[in-house]
Amino acid sequence: MRIKRMLVFFAISLLAIFGLTTVAFSAEALNAYSIWPENWARPMFEEFEKATGIHVNFLRFSSGEALARIIAEKNNPRVDVLFGGPVETHIAGIKEGIFEPYKPPTFGVLAPRFKDPEGYWVGIADDPLVFMSNNKFLKEKNLNPPTSWNDLLSPAYKGMIQMADARTSGTAVTRIFSVIEVFGRDENKAFEYMKKLRQNVQVYTKSGGGGTIPVGLGQAGAGIFFIVDALKTKQEGYDVVISFPKEGIGTSVEAIALLKGAKNPALGKKMIDWSTMPAMQNHYAKYKINFVPAHPEVKTEPSLAEVLKGAKVFPIDEAWAGQNRKKVVERWINEVLP
Amino acid sequence: MSAPTAELNPSNRLRNLLRDPLLLVSLIILWSLLILFILLPLIRLFIRTFEEGGHFTLSNILAILGDPNQRQALWNSLLLGCLVGLCGTALGFLFAFTAVRTNLSKAWTFFLDVSIILPLISPPFTTAIAMIFSFGPRGLITYDLLGIKNFTAYGLHSTLFSETITYFPIAYLTLKAIIAGIDPNIEDMAFSLGSSRWRVFRTVTLPLTVPGLANSILLLFAASLADFATPLILAGNSFPVLPTQAYLQITGLFDIKGGAVLSFVLLVPAFLVFFLQRFWVSRKYYVTISGKVGAKTQVKSVPSWTKYFLLGLCLFISAFILYFYVLLFYASIVQAFGANFQLTWKHYRVVFTEGLKAIRDTLIIAGAGMPLGGIYGVILGYLVSKKIFFSRQAMEIVSMINYALPGTIVGIAYLLFFNDPPIMLTGTAIIIIACYVFRYGPTGIRTTVAILQQIDPSIEEASFSLGAGSGTTFRRITLPLILPAFFAGLGVVFIRSMTAISATIFLISINWTLITVRILEKMTELELGVAAAFSILVVFIVFIVITAISLFLRLFRQPGAPEMASILGG
Repeated sequence: MRIKRMLVFFAISLLAIFGLTTVAFSAEALNAYSIWPENWARPMFEEFEKATGIHVNFLRFSSGEALARIIAEKNNPRVDVLFGGPVETHIAGIKEGIFEPYKPPTFGVLAPRFKDPEGYWVGIADDPLVFMSNNKFLKEKNLNPPTSWNDLLSPAYKGMIQMADARTSGTAVTRIFSVIEVFGRDENKAFEYMKKLRQNVQVYTKSGGGGTIPVGLGQAGAGIFFIVDALKTKQEGYDVVISFPKEGIGTSVEAIALLKGAKNPALGKKMIDWSTMPAMQNHYAKYKINFVPAHPEVKTEPSLAEVLKGAKVFPIDEAWAGQNRKKVVERWINEVLP
Repeated sequence: MSAPTAELNPSNRLRNLLRDPLLLVSLIILWSLLILFILLPLIRLFIRTFEEGGHFTLSNILAILGDPNQRQALWNSLLLGCLVGLCGTALGFLFAFTAVRTNLSKAWTFFLDVSIILPLISPPFTTAIAMIFSFGPRGLITYDLLGIKNFTAYGLHSTLFSETITYFPIAYLTLKAIIAGIDPNIEDMAFSLGSSRWRVFRTVTLPLTVPGLANSILLLFAASLADFATPLILAGNSFPVLPTQAYLQITGLFDIKGGAVLSFVLLVPAFLVFFLQRFWVSRKYYVTISGKVGAKTQVKSVPSWTKYFLLGLCLFISAFILYFYVLLFYASIVQAFGANFQLTWKHYRVVFTEGLKAIRDTLIIAGAGMPLGGIYGVILGYLVSKKIFFSRQAMEIVSMINYALPGTIVGIAYLLFFNDPPIMLTGTAIIIIACYVFRYGPTGIRTTVAILQQIDPSIEEASFSLGAGSGTTFRRITLPLILPAFFAGLGVVFIRSMTAISATIFLISINWTLITVRILEKMTELELGVAAAFSILVVFIVFIVITAISLFLRLFRQPGAPEMASILGG
């Protein structure tokens, strides 16, 4: 009987499916949202597992998305740790009451700008913004690599600049605060500049590094990115050049934070302990992750130090930025984006 | 829907129900599922949109409509939908007409079918990746081939192009069946009355396909209205569209309310299209197949120069589609596209190590959704077309809602409803499976209904009069007849589980993620090689599965049983 056999077959397959879905996740594991791209977060988490035996389940989101998700899940947190991401994200989160303060053993050693006084977040790296341009594009237009924010306003760049969208990307938020800082915190002047820059922008991308490949390919001429993304593009072999504006450019702390109501707080704390120590930060160079380590005892990788030599880089005033983040991003959406 | 027996009055229907406990039980179960997974989430979205501090208010909607940017986004969405509908239908008509009206050889038809099936079984933004490489100031096509320097890859034109290429196969499948159904003898009659070929095309062939054209335009309009991934990558900032805005509002700004309101605005055109399609177009099909088919004649409607011209056009477009996929494959096997063309398997290594969890999750979800979607479609389709009961019509319409709405709305509604008590399902696989089953199950329902309409009710009546209950009759008589519909429904749920993103991107979690979401994430993370490798994998898996299912369908070949290809269109 064909039908009977079919029914038995479906009963068995249904059972098998439910069996499969209910197994999984038996071992104790840490859950995390990572803002670092998967190919950097994964080796770190694997090293962590090697060192501690704790497995990390994680999902990668842009910083805006990660923050939105954690806030949405506030009453029933699905993860223990928010790993990486520019610190504005974490500071915005403090106001939302989503983090649990925790001071790891390294807390005292870290410079003040790498930690929240209460311990709501702790820095694991420093990440300056840079200008990155396509060499062929520069040659064709007879340009030097841009060395001033005003260089980017030149009509030669019309429709050829890519940078990130402040709705989803922390890179964009850091960039906007850099501009505001460059204009001496005169928001009106800063927004006037950004509106002028808008004329030259081809597209605002969803994630911070979204424009690096187009710049590498020559589809765009230049862009403003975090140094990790820019150097990665260069290392892959794209013909790009990195430069810094003489007025200075912001750098953002990459941070880690424990979630309030985390299901595995002890494991989360172990992760924070480990990631703020040289134990993790020594691995940056090995995996070609071009972050500047936050721990004072970890040396910056020589070629990265070479790129940064002579550059005028200033830290964003995180407390001020965190307080004004929402207002500034909204103004950007309304005035610059359209 | 054909009613099996004479219409009964309401009290008789109720008595009927009580006499048939199996029917009653299945109705209760189905209605509970429909209410839980379709109506309640939608009501929650509705409340979220029109409630402020416990009061009913229009201010949220008015705020959106008053904001010139959002109004622009709404207008852009409608414009894009119309253009995709028109362009896609035109392209689909070209292919369908060429395929069935020009006496093509088997080999050519096969080639056209293959190139058309690729966009149907791909994740929605695969063409978008290829577009980024091909167009733009230094694009392979615009610059290297045509020498245009200032071409921009972002905006209406490229979004329209990408969506047209992605969705025109739906138009092709819709129209192919209709054009094939026009008896060449009718054209012959016109010829013998002395008409020219052009006149026959204009006054006979084209008018007969009008309902099909309208249907196809509506289908494509709906598909475009639902697509947020293509505009997310290609629309740029000067051409915002509503689904993308709603997505960014929720994921980027944590404004669930704003996202809900935006997606609610989208609901109006979506429902309009749904009802137009259901109550107007679907009743206008002309039947030209009569019982007496004369000798099959050669189609003469096209002279040979037109045939080669049309074929040339189709081949050009097919070549374009194939070029996209070759490019995608190439990007997946070189170190870094555009910089380092050394061959490597490293992107596939990433897919099968880092990506393994996403692959496993997706396969489990698709595998679980498959039988459930198939069973759901067959049972619901059977009930609404073969049984008379209270709320029959309502059940049929409700079951179609999630299918008709853009995925963004369904995803947001699920997120709102299942994130809080009483039923917390966010973070589970169930919510994703349910989303797929109720969103793509309707294909199985419609196929079941179509097949059952062609089965003589007297077969079942005979079973009843011999004393079999409705359970036995269903199992021994009807089920074997509708097995093809079961496989069709199951196939579509599987394919969409592998390729869809618009609803489920809101529903993934740390425990359950999906390949499509990984692809989007990899694209925004600059890992284009990995994104391409993932896409190729999806196309490969889906291709194998539909081949298996269409072999199965051929095994059960029955009158009214659909071809796999035509199911994909729905």
